[in-house]
Amino acid sequence: MKRRALDVFVAAVAALCASVAVGILVGLVAVIAQRGAPAISWTFLTEQIRLVGAAGGIFWNVIGTLLLLATALGVCLPLAVALALVERVWLRKTRARRLVRTALYTLNGVPTIVFGIFGFIVFVQWCGWGKSWLAGGFVLALGMLPTVAVALIERLHAIPVKYIEAAVALGLRESQIIWSVLLPQARGGLITGSLLALARAAGETAPIMFTATIFAGATLPHGVKDSPVLSLPYHIFILAQDSFDPAVGAKLWGAALVLLGLVFSLSLAALPSRLRAHEEAHV
Amino acid sequence: MKKPMSEHAAPVLEVRGLSVHAGAKLLLRNVSVAVRPGQVFGLIGPSGAGKSTLLRCLNRLTDLIPGLRVSGDAMLNGRSIYTAGEDVNVLRAKVGMLFQQPVVFPASVEDNVLFGAQRLRPLSRADRAALVESALREAALWDEMKDRLRTAATLLSVGQQQRLCLARTLAVEPQVILMDEPTSALDPKSTQAIEDLIVRLKARHTIVLVTHNVAQARRVTDWLACVCVRDGAGEIVESACCDSVLSNPQCREVIEYLSA
Repeated sequence: MKRRALDVFVAAVAALCASVAVGILVGLVAVIAQRGAPAISWTFLTEQIRLVGAAGGIFWNVIGTLLLLATALGVCLPLAVALALVERVWLRKTRARRLVRTALYTLNGVPTIVFGIFGFIVFVQWCGWGKSWLAGGFVLALGMLPTVAVALIERLHAIPVKYIEAAVALGLRESQIIWSVLLPQARGGLITGSLLALARAAGETAPIMFTATIFAGATLPHGVKDSPVLSLPYHIFILAQDSFDPAVGAKLWGAALVLLGLVFSLSLAALPSRLRAHEEAHV
Repeated sequence: MKKPMSEHAAPVLEVRGLSVHAGAKLLLRNVSVAVRPGQVFGLIGPSGAGKSTLLRCLNRLTDLIPGLRVSGDAMLNGRSIYTAGEDVNVLRAKVGMLFQQPVVFPASVEDNVLFGAQRLRPLSRADRAALVESALREAALWDEMKDRLRTAATLLSVGQQQRLCLARTLAVEPQVILMDEPTSALDPKSTQAIEDLIVRLKARHTIVLVTHNVAQARRVTDWLACVCVRDGAGEIVESACCDSVLSNPQCREVIEYLSA
């Protein structure tokens, strides 16, 4: 009887905690949706910013954020694939492998503002790019690297040895096995990791505020040097910090809702691949 | 009575004084065998005696296992496969392997057949179609698969998968095929199909077959080597033509194994 009561108690506490967590999430989304929805309109999405954010839309902010994300993905993918292959294929010693993983986890724990400062010093000043979309893409790529690489590494290690043995026994070279067995079978991990990392990178403000983005007056970049873009998170940051104008407030929530939608759709896009990985893990 | 095939021809595969260590532990001690062309060479013996390890020494799949050390020598067509600088991938293309569990890649039937071949030599589109057909025919799978070439190979029955793996190995055109208990995961009908194939394939290939099924050994092998554990390590305790090992075993271990 006593054990049963304990079971019920534990279940109740767990349910309470879970509903608090879900409640916070639902509340957050509800508040942003409720306050942001009135601002959303076709013109909001297609017009450029006017009157310091009090009027107009966020067209170039969305474009800028997408451009930063595409650049970051383009920089991150080859690095992550190379790193994962080094870890899985070429490092023979367990210690060396562990070092790679530890380095990735450490990188994952670095505060984003530190990435921002690093990018400012290296790309903006040292490389002489100035504030540029490319610098922002590189900095975001660094932040994405651990997520993508670790997801890929885990999938690579989950590939049953029998496939590798079968390919080796056919007389295939290492590079052929990488292209024909390892990468195709780990593709799901790469997709999932990339989408999750993109979803997180989309909302990052600190890495791009010194390196890539300005508040107003930019459209498409014309080159690399001194070619900043607008972006959603920085837009929200500036509006939230500087404005007491109620007209700005509405636009602010609207921008937040658009950003949330972007992040949400990236996470949602990763879902099928994640579910498949989950199923495979339980076969 | 099966005719002992070409007993005096030069061996295709020859193992001389081969020992295998895993760390400090001795797994196989001083193994010597000679496999003649066109032979089905059987390796029998209790589980854990090192039959599969010996088999994997013959295409150097042992290289994949860290800490495994092979000493002594094995020769393919009179050339050592353990010399430095030996292209191990060329060796493995010549010495194909069929595993205990069929391993099909998550791709179509056709892509599975071509998996090794199309990466090892240039093949035109016509070559590929012809190779798919000839390999599947050789593996007695063409009639079942000719209308399903684009089906996912994972949807086939286990028996079909094993024959598909055989077709994939045959497409690489190996001289020798190593088979590691190829029927132990299969139902009787598929086992029958694989055994028929083994008998047919020996016209063009030399086969080394690991089996723990004595009846199977009797049905398909020409020569038998019995691997048993002595003093904690696997040894070849008896090696002779199939009938004499099975009907008139000389070693205590073999007699025990056969009567078990």
